[in-house]
Amino acid sequence: MKKLFIIATVALFAACQTQKDQTEMQAVENPFYVEWDTPFGAPPFSQIKDEHYKPAFEKGMKDNLAEIDAIVNNPEAPTFENTLEELERVGKLLTKVQRVFYNLTGSNTNPKMQELERELSPLISAHYDKITLNAGLFKRIEAIWQSRESLGLNKEQLKLLKDTRKQFVRSGALLNEEEKAQITKINTEISELTTAFGQNLLAETNGFELVLDSTDLDGLSESIIAAAAESATQKMEKAETEEEKAKYKDKYVFTPHRSSMYPFLTESNRRDLREQLYKAYVQRGDNDNATDNKEITAKIAKLRAERAKLMGYETHAHFVLEERMLKTPEEVYDLLMQLWKPALERAKVEVADMQAVVDAEGKDFEIAGWDWWQYSEKVRKAKYDLDEAAIQPYLSLDNVLNGVFATTNKLWGLTYTEIFDVEVYHPDARVWEVKDKDGSHLGIFIGDYFTRSNKRGGAWMSSFKGQSNLDGRKRPIVVNVCNFPAPIGDAPSLLTFEHVTTLFHEFGHAMHGIMTDVTYGSMSGTSGPRDFTEFPAQLLEHWASEPEILKTFATHYETGEVIPDELIAKLLKASKFNQGFANTEYLAASLLDMDWHTIKADEELKDADAFEKASLDKIGLIDEIAPRYRSTYFAHIFSGGYAAGYYGYVHSAVLDSDAFEAFKETGDVFNPELAAKLRKYVYEKGSTEEAKDLYVQFRGREPEIDALLKVRGLDGSME
Amino acid sequence: MIMRFLFPFIFLSILCLSFRAQSHPEDELIIREIEEGQLEVQDQQVSAEYAAALKRQRIRKLSAMPWYEKFFVFVKAGIEHIIPKGLDHILFVLGLFFSSLILGSLLWQVSAFTLAHTITLAVAALGIVQAPAGIVEPLIALSIVWVAAENCIFKEASKWRPFVVFSFGLLHGLGFASVLSEYGLPQGNLVPSLLAFNIGVEVGQLIVLVVAALLVWFIRDKSWYRKRVQIPASIMIALVGLFWFVERVFL
Ligand SMILES: [Zn+2]
Repeated sequence: MKKLFIIATVALFAACQTQKDQTEMQAVENPFYVEWDTPFGAPPFSQIKDEHYKPAFEKGMKDNLAEIDAIVNNPEAPTFENTLEELERVGKLLTKVQRVFYNLTGSNTNPKMQELERELSPLISAHYDKITLNAGLFKRIEAIWQSRESLGLNKEQLKLLKDTRKQFVRSGALLNEEEKAQITKINTEISELTTAFGQNLLAETNGFELVLDSTDLDGLSESIIAAAAESATQKMEKAETEEEKAKYKDKYVFTPHRSSMYPFLTESNRRDLREQLYKAYVQRGDNDNATDNKEITAKIAKLRAERAKLMGYETHAHFVLEERMLKTPEEVYDLLMQLWKPALERAKVEVADMQAVVDAEGKDFEIAGWDWWQYSEKVRKAKYDLDEAAIQPYLSLDNVLNGVFATTNKLWGLTYTEIFDVEVYHPDARVWEVKDKDGSHLGIFIGDYFTRSNKRGGAWMSSFKGQSNLDGRKRPIVVNVCNFPAPIGDAPSLLTFEHVTTLFHEFGHAMHGIMTDVTYGSMSGTSGPRDFTEFPAQLLEHWASEPEILKTFATHYETGEVIPDELIAKLLKASKFNQGFANTEYLAASLLDMDWHTIKADEELKDADAFEKASLDKIGLIDEIAPRYRSTYFAHIFSGGYAAGYYGYVHSAVLDSDAFEAFKETGDVFNPELAAKLRKYVYEKGSTEEAKDLYVQFRGREPEIDALLKVRGLDGSME
Repeated sequence: MIMRFLFPFIFLSILCLSFRAQSHPEDELIIREIEEGQLEVQDQQVSAEYAAALKRQRIRKLSAMPWYEKFFVFVKAGIEHIIPKGLDHILFVLGLFFSSLILGSLLWQVSAFTLAHTITLAVAALGIVQAPAGIVEPLIALSIVWVAAENCIFKEASKWRPFVVFSFGLLHGLGFASVLSEYGLPQGNLVPSLLAFNIGVEVGQLIVLVVAALLVWFIRDKSWYRKRVQIPASIMIALVGLFWFVERVFL
């Protein structure tokens, strides 16, 4: 019988192990409630389970309010230390759980977390409302503000005081009760309207589809056809009636979702179908049906203007811009219009280039909006002849990472060591310790680069731990999340040049988050105004496209050969392609955004269409280009938080081009003096000073627009 | 740190645009949530991606290790792929064990087995040969049935037994290779890690044999050994092998 025993013992091995795991799990208390005794204070991801979040959020909010009450009820007279510094210290638990939760809902989510996200969102905004509307707290802050001259505060403390007070004022703390009630009423109305706007847009986008036969697919590539067949199959599966099922049988479906539309517009040779799809896209929310957004947009704009007036601002744009680097609508318009003319000129040249292709093909039509993608691609092939596949072998992820590490090493002396003793939330997340040039610890960088099905699209930077010097030196843990293709088998991950730019961009944000060195955590890293925070990120992109630097890291993953000069030249030339179109559609949308938010409270506003038309006619937008977003589907400004803020991207671009020009002027893209200034005034400072002052201290003058025009090929050099 | 939490979603992350393409994933995110609703997560896909990522992580860790640590890791992996993960290899070795009590005969068989699986493990791991698991795995199960059945039929191991065992060894090597490739080999030190893994496998095998020998040490000379121990144990082994065969082919 002994032998049987052996076999039985061996067979039982596997079964025992799973049971042990479960009992262990139950014994652990909520990991958010204890101090994290981990290397660098990183979250102990393996201990954090889905069921820990909700209680931690609830306790976090409760604790936070109790801490605020303690500050308000402090019998001592309000001082900077017992009020503002204390505010920096409160809410630790909430911060801790928020950072982990919202990072993971973006990069490693699951249905349970998604549900919790929906459940929490109103609770959390209500929580922060309670704090900003706390009259007792504002009274203390206001008292300190009034006596600020005599307190001997330093620059950073003054800025903290000013910013904090402003947050309260902007929520209505200075208004009387009647005005406050009005604001609340307007806020409720706006929030209902923005929700309706989003729902309508969703319905409108899902409401149109192009159902094609196999005879309608002229020009489309195999992968596009396969995707369209797949979406027809899915629709068939979801269909409820036989009749509906028959409609999709053996058909191909395209929709106004941009992932479906752009490939179709680029490849399809059926001009009539391109026109149908394109028109469906630009008419979304403007079809005079139950899901029309025209009235809603006008109402939202109107209510925002009224609210601004109540708060004492001329327009909503004035209200928003007060907190930005560009302070007034005039400054924004001035910037946008400086770019507008050259962009439009360039776009007209691009139209002529495309028309020449049409004529050469012997076809008889004039280029229209729905032709742009197809014919610009033809021009691109003829003029630039860049084969992405030929470049990728030089751009393996490891090479590019070495490139960005080397760049920041030459600029600031930073060094990177990949480490494995810090826990991560997914095995594709890699961890590096970043050390300063004197060898001291600066921060932890996590790079999570590959796409996966439980990660949101796009690329972003975020942090698991902030920086502060308030109670001892606390260094940050920063993460970059991207969506590069995961390697197949054991081959390395090969990037496109666009991926490389994205990697450098996100790494620029990471540098902003890692080199930051301020006293108060709420002012650290990327906390500055939105039209400034893209600048440190976009700036780093410039080094990625410097031929000298490219050659140091872009080596062939198999042969080790350095990327040929000819390929670099093509690459850089192609980056200026189609910039007329890209800038024009973007600027038109930015200007439209500004127009909507510079209306006065008493202005007559009837029809969104007429308003938009007047706005676009005024700047002379050509028919071949629509604004990147038309009013009825401009979700960023009518549903998201970008009102009077869409211009921010190009403003940051002005700064980064102008800043990189400074390096080029010295003849050394690693000029040590400039690099030191850049670190001191931009990457270290967070929002402890006004963004414009920071820039001027680095650059020695205010930003100028010429460098950007050159970078984008809008300076006339392309003709 | 309170005020800046007003918009937790926006505050926490900076979503980005790629300047060159003028696409704005930051905006895309808002648009996407509105136009397409939420991310639909599929468990199966998530776990497949997770497994692939785990392998990449293991390889990264390995390549960052000094050689002696790496050696140790692979020896350990080799042992683990016998005990406890390599149940079918354990049964096969036990099948060999119950064939003969003559040390010489057993030694011959085990050596043939070791030599054979070392060869196929090497050629498969180096990518020279590829064998589909769908064929190799059922054959491994059958090899267990074969050796166990032989034990019941013949009292002592036959002369051709080492050759049979050798060809089965070739199969088992392919089996090791597929688990090793799932485990991940560092591109840089392929041969040393392979060697270390193999050493681990041998150590695991040896442990199985030694434990089995200790357990039957005092009863091996008894007259009833063959009837009460050798044959029943071999039947058990054959039955398990048969069950695996059926499971791997039909289930
Ligand atoms: Zn960015």
